[in-house]
Amino acid sequence: MIQLKTMLNCIDNSGAAIVECVANLKMKRHAKIGDRIIVVVQKQRNFGPESGPGASVSTSAANKVRRGDIRHAVVVRTKKKLQRPDGSVVKFEDNACVLINKAGEPIGTRLNGVVGTELRKMKWSKILSLAPMHL
Amino acid sequence: MAPTTPTLRPLACWKSLLRHSRLQKTATRSLTTYFQPKPIDAPPSTPPPAIKFKEPINDVHAMQIAVLDPTGARTTLFSKTNPEAAHVGDILLVRLKTGDPFAGVCINIRRRGVESGILLRNELTRVGVEMWFKIYSPNVEGIEVVQRKEKRARRARLTYMRKAKHDIGSVQNIVLAYQRSRGALRGSVASVASNEKKGGKRKVKGKGKR
Repeated sequence: MIQLKTMLNCIDNSGAAIVECVANLKMKRHAKIGDRIIVVVQKQRNFGPESGPGASVSTSAANKVRRGDIRHAVVVRTKKKLQRPDGSVVKFEDNACVLINKAGEPIGTRLNGVVGTELRKMKWSKILSLAPMHL
Repeated sequence: MAPTTPTLRPLACWKSLLRHSRLQKTATRSLTTYFQPKPIDAPPSTPPPAIKFKEPINDVHAMQIAVLDPTGARTTLFSKTNPEAAHVGDILLVRLKTGDPFAGVCINIRRRGVESGILLRNELTRVGVEMWFKIYSPNVEGIEVVQRKEKRARRARLTYMRKAKHDIGSVQNIVLAYQRSRGALRGSVASVASNEKKGGKRKVKGKGKR
């Protein structure tokens, strides 16, 4: 249930760490996995242990976005339970998103973290192929 | 007057004739719709005897379970009377017909006949994930018990395992060891499997500290 003011984790290496949702696109309800939203970057990912292994390679080139930037994003994980057509339900621990440009291509080059399989249904196969795991 | 009357007379005659026939037609029409009830001498046809269900919902559930789980393996795995049944706290592995298998700690069993489900919790790429599965779903190929809880859980729902204090984190190592032991030995040397499981546990704890 991503709506106005929701804070999400950004799980790509675009440079954003925490973003805030400011609008849901093409819908009059809260956003679910695979929906496109507009976000404001609230916190930048800085050099340090939290950037994780592998991030040290491209720390200087990492920050493609800055604090205060307005970007489009795709929701990839939600805390709200999401029911699948076969009756199974999936629920993640956090809300997370991936930044994209206006054309729909991801800004970052790698993702860290599991993403929902609903992205395939919504034609976000580029994000799915970047993700290390999908569920 | 003389030239007009002969021309009018035959027309009037026709008119009257037509009117007469029309009236006759309507009369016959009304006659056909006249209802004459037939005498009821044949016995009224009795409806087929309705199948008596004492507990309709339970019977429907039983019928559906018989279709979806013909061997009864799934039912016994989660039956309350079976001492070998899966309980909350056990680590279960759900093999799916579509997609990868999912393993996790069972923290809730929802018993609702054919719609029974289990809630599994695991940690994938350091993100907690919970999934509900319907145990009789045709999409579920099999459910295996990877590891049992040493002590019986005193709660029916282990929702406290979501809290950081009780969260056991990823069970991926335990599951991997289990799968390796199953694939390599097919249950011949149980001691090796148990050792592997212990190793897996230690690894998990180390991850949690990090």
